[in-house]
Amino acid sequence: MNDLDIRKVVLDELGNIAPEGDLAGIDPTADLREALDIDSMDFLNFVTAIHHRLGVDIPEIDYPKLITLNGAIAYLTAQLKSAKR
Amino acid sequence: MRAAIAAAMSRSKREIPHYYLEHQVDVTACEQWLARTNAARPPDTRLLFGALAIKSVALAALRFPAFNGFYREGKFEPSSAVHVGVAIAIRGGGLAAPALRDTDNISLDELMTRMRDLVQRMRAGRIRSSEIADPTITVSSLGERGVDALYGIIYPPQVAIVGFGKVAVRPCVVDGVIAPRSVVTITLSADHRVSDGHAGALFLAEVGKLLQEPDKL
Repeated sequence: MNDLDIRKVVLDELGNIAPEGDLAGIDPTADLREALDIDSMDFLNFVTAIHHRLGVDIPEIDYPKLITLNGAIAYLTAQLKSAKR
Repeated sequence: MRAAIAAAMSRSKREIPHYYLEHQVDVTACEQWLARTNAARPPDTRLLFGALAIKSVALAALRFPAFNGFYREGKFEPSSAVHVGVAIAIRGGGLAAPALRDTDNISLDELMTRMRDLVQRMRAGRIRSSEIADPTITVSSLGERGVDALYGIIYPPQVAIVGFGKVAVRPCVVDGVIAPRSVVTITLSADHRVSDGHAGALFLAEVGKLLQEPDKL
């Protein structure tokens, strides 16, 4: 799975949580919670969905690494690589 | 939706003599317990602070019946069951507070599962009207990005609403030393026809005490 695929999964799942959000126009360095008005329950649902789709473990302590689009993609890419090894 | 909220809140402010209390509570024990508990769990079964908040209010309501029930036709009817209404924002505006039935009797895991289900159904517009009528007390929580405190307006015919601000790390004095602690401001808006500030203070203090031992919730 390359960066583009991961990006698509992340955007898909954000779209499920914030269907009215402007995902195409989202600033990849913005705090997703602010940009999409996501609360802690939404964020947990997002993490749960990503966990199921990609099979990566996302411990709670790593949540801060996922709060921007770029951060989430970088984090998930690294997790998927380390899982393969 | 806006008209329905306006009608209910106007009626509340017209009919219910509200009084308001606030209480700052150190919830470091909750934060540490959640971090430990969630570290060993997959995302599906992780708990949020909101679940602890709701359960603590349910248990306190059981001990202080003057905050749990309905004021109808000139008199208060306490409820033996505790059905906490959970205020949930609707994306794009508005809110509703459907009930988690028998909140005092369910485990935190069950409470969390049902809360997730309620939020999902609320977002999808699939909440039954009975779920909106059921609550005997309401909890409103603004979550991690909110403000420090919120003062709720009672949803008639209920007689109390408990508000949770965001949990924030603040300097506190613990055993004579200043230390960073996780703190939350809890408020109570209650009905003066049924209770007074003294009882309200004891009720809020009980919520604070219960949050010191999250493993017992």
